Amino acid sequence: MTSSAPTVFVVDDDPSVRRGVERLLRSAGLAAEAFASARDFLERYDCDAVGCVILDLAMPGFDGLQMQQVLADRGSALPIIFLTGHGDIPSSVRAMKRGAVDFLTKPVNGDDLLAAVRNAIGRCEALYREREEIAGIRRRVATLTPREREVLAHVLSGKLNKQIAADLGTIEHTIKVHRARVMQKMQARTLAALVRLAQRAGIEPAPPTEG
Amino acid sequence: MNWVQIAWIMMSAASLTLGVIHLFAWFKQRSQYAHLLFFALAVSAAAFGVFEIEMMHAQSSVGYAAALRWAHVLLAMVVLSIVWFVHFYFDAGRLWLAYMVSGVRLLALGLNFVTGVNINFHEVSALDQVLLWGGAVLSGPVGVANPWAIVPQIGNVLLVAFVVDASVTLWQRGGPVAHRRAAVVGGSLVVCITAVAGFAALITSGLVHAPTIVMPGVFIVVLAMGYELGWDMIAAAQLAVQLRTSEQRFRAVVQAVPSAILLVDDRGMITLANAQAETAFGYRREELIAKPVEMLIPERFRVPHVGLRSAYAEDAQARAMGAGRELLACRKDGGEIPVEVALSPMPAEEGLFVLVSVVDVTERRNVERATARQRDEVAHLSRVAMLGELSGSLAHELNQPLMGILSNAQAAQRFLAADDVNLDEVREILDDIVADDRRAGEVIRRLRALLKRGEVQHAPLDIGNVVDDVLRLTRNDLMNRDVAASAELAPDLPTVLGDRIQLQQVLLNLVINACEAMAGVPGTPLVHIRARCADGAGVEVSVSDRGGGIPPGDLERIFEPFVTTKEHGTGLGLSICRTIIAAHGGRLWAENDGAGATFRFTVPPRLHAE
Repeated sequence: MTSSAPTVFVVDDDPSVRRGVERLLRSAGLAAEAFASARDFLERYDCDAVGCVILDLAMPGFDGLQMQQVLADRGSALPIIFLTGHGDIPSSVRAMKRGAVDFLTKPVNGDDLLAAVRNAIGRCEALYREREEIAGIRRRVATLTPREREVLAHVLSGKLNKQIAADLGTIEHTIKVHRARVMQKMQARTLAALVRLAQRAGIEPAPPTEG
Repeated sequence: MNWVQIAWIMMSAASLTLGVIHLFAWFKQRSQYAHLLFFALAVSAAAFGVFEIEMMHAQSSVGYAAALRWAHVLLAMVVLSIVWFVHFYFDAGRLWLAYMVSGVRLLALGLNFVTGVNINFHEVSALDQVLLWGGAVLSGPVGVANPWAIVPQIGNVLLVAFVVDASVTLWQRGGPVAHRRAAVVGGSLVVCITAVAGFAALITSGLVHAPTIVMPGVFIVVLAMGYELGWDMIAAAQLAVQLRTSEQRFRAVVQAVPSAILLVDDRGMITLANAQAETAFGYRREELIAKPVEMLIPERFRVPHVGLRSAYAEDAQARAMGAGRELLACRKDGGEIPVEVALSPMPAEEGLFVLVSVVDVTERRNVERATARQRDEVAHLSRVAMLGELSGSLAHELNQPLMGILSNAQAAQRFLAADDVNLDEVREILDDIVADDRRAGEVIRRLRALLKRGEVQHAPLDIGNVVDDVLRLTRNDLMNRDVAASAELAPDLPTVLGDRIQLQQVLLNLVINACEAMAGVPGTPLVHIRARCADGAGVEVSVSDRGGGIPPGDLERIFEPFVTTKEHGTGLGLSICRTIIAAHGGRLWAENDGAGATFRFTVPPRLHAE
């Protein structure tokens, strides 16, 4: 939920690499912020920031892979681009498995690095957009009454109004009214749209009726 | 002529002959006063013999008294000769006693002429004719004793005392020669003087009527002394023979020794050279003898050598020349050869001679050089292999600055493409690029130095720089292994003499070993490098790990070639390290401390003379 411009965080223990990468990013019109160690970054970064991290793999004390783990544990959405002095396959595989967007070997061509950064920022923005959307859906779900949520769950499991009425111990008409209210509150014009919205919000369909 | 005359004449002649022989001996050795004094004694004795014949055949008491008076002159000479002979020959006897004996005898001689008819008799009233065996008739004096006769008798007692004292002193010095000399000369003197003087006193006092018989006693003394002096001459002759034999042996040894031998006198002249010296230096013997020894030294060292030679003469001891420096000798053809030189002083009367033994070590130097070359080659190969292991880490060291350069340069391109150029920013970028370029160059320089198969050069170096280099080279490797490294350098480390690359190799090897020892061992991995002043001199460097240590039985074995505790080790690293350190004159060993192993090596200090 931030509207500020995307920021690229550079984490590298080598000051000259740090400065060079920062300048390269600024020359491409990107906002950059540099940190000399993973700890530094973890203490100071803005967890809602949009952008990405350019992370040195090998750093004394607290290395890139460990930092990636901490960010994942904190549920950060910041995509990570790894930079390494010499690429060894096991660490690159580990990094990619944990969701790194790129794994680049030093010295990396500026255009390649910038392309990777833009791609990562794009991802980050897309991720934020999606989060925004889901949050919107969840807000709509929150407006439903408990009875309406029950009806929604049953609708999602593909039951007819008559079956729902039987399950909930009421008459078909009442269900029809509830269902219309749900469609209206969820701003879904078709049943298909309602199902998609519910899925994205993570609402589970009701279990099938026994007998 | 009766037999007494014949015997007396023979004794005189024999004395004279012996005396003359020793006169010649004295001419040859003027410092030997014993020969001269013996001559005086023998001649006096010979003359006395003649006078005694005269006395024994005197026909009147007046003639007898006169002959005895003059015989006392010779007797005085005999006594004086005996006193001073004993003094010089024994090198003993109290000097004051010798002067006293001489003085009393001269006083007696004076009294001999001024009192009575001689010192023995106040007057000789008659002559007794004594018939001896074989029909010889001799005259014996009858008369009144001279009261002054006590003076020569006191003199005789003093003489006996002097001789006894001198003989005892000589005897106490010990040794067969001293004992014999004291017994033969001292004994015969004491016996003869006592007998002769006693007999004379008996005749003078009138208790015995007999002719005075002194000559046999004197002759025995002459014989005893002559015998001793003769012994000396024989011993000297034997000594000369022995000397000649020993000199011949010395020359034979000098010839037989496999090294070149020169004998140099105190002026630096060569007095002897063996065949090996001729071969080694290319000169013939005649060209060496009586020439200054400096001719065998390269020209640039000749002047200092003269000073060194006189310094050696001040404190001459058998020792090697040059105090560990490499010595060069100069051949006749101008070629220089490495040599080892041993000096032994041979003091002689003419001055200090020095026996110089020279060994040509060209061959040995060649072998040593070949061995060193092989060792350095193996060290180089092992270094290359070790760098192979570090290659990833080294690539990182190189890629860091390259990354800096590339990103800075491309940033600059982009800034310059924009309309509004911030020149300050571009300047900073260029500064960073230059710094990074230097850094990359430095990495490459270090690598090249380690990879190069160059001549090993022992130069003065700061061990702290070696430690820094190694920490830089392994920085990334240590990081990848999660090993922390610390270094502790004592502030007062002396400069050492060594090959920087080879010492780096040793330290690099020890650091990598330490890391590998800690792989999979619980606890925080830490490598601690420490450099401090060694107990003797120079520097001791230690590398400690926390890898749990080495089994005590393996502490020495790990330095043997092909012994390894690692899965993929060649077992050569530590054995090469040890040869490198040994070639530096230091020591490399391992020990265990609480947490792990510590490897220590020493490097001797740079010598001040260099």
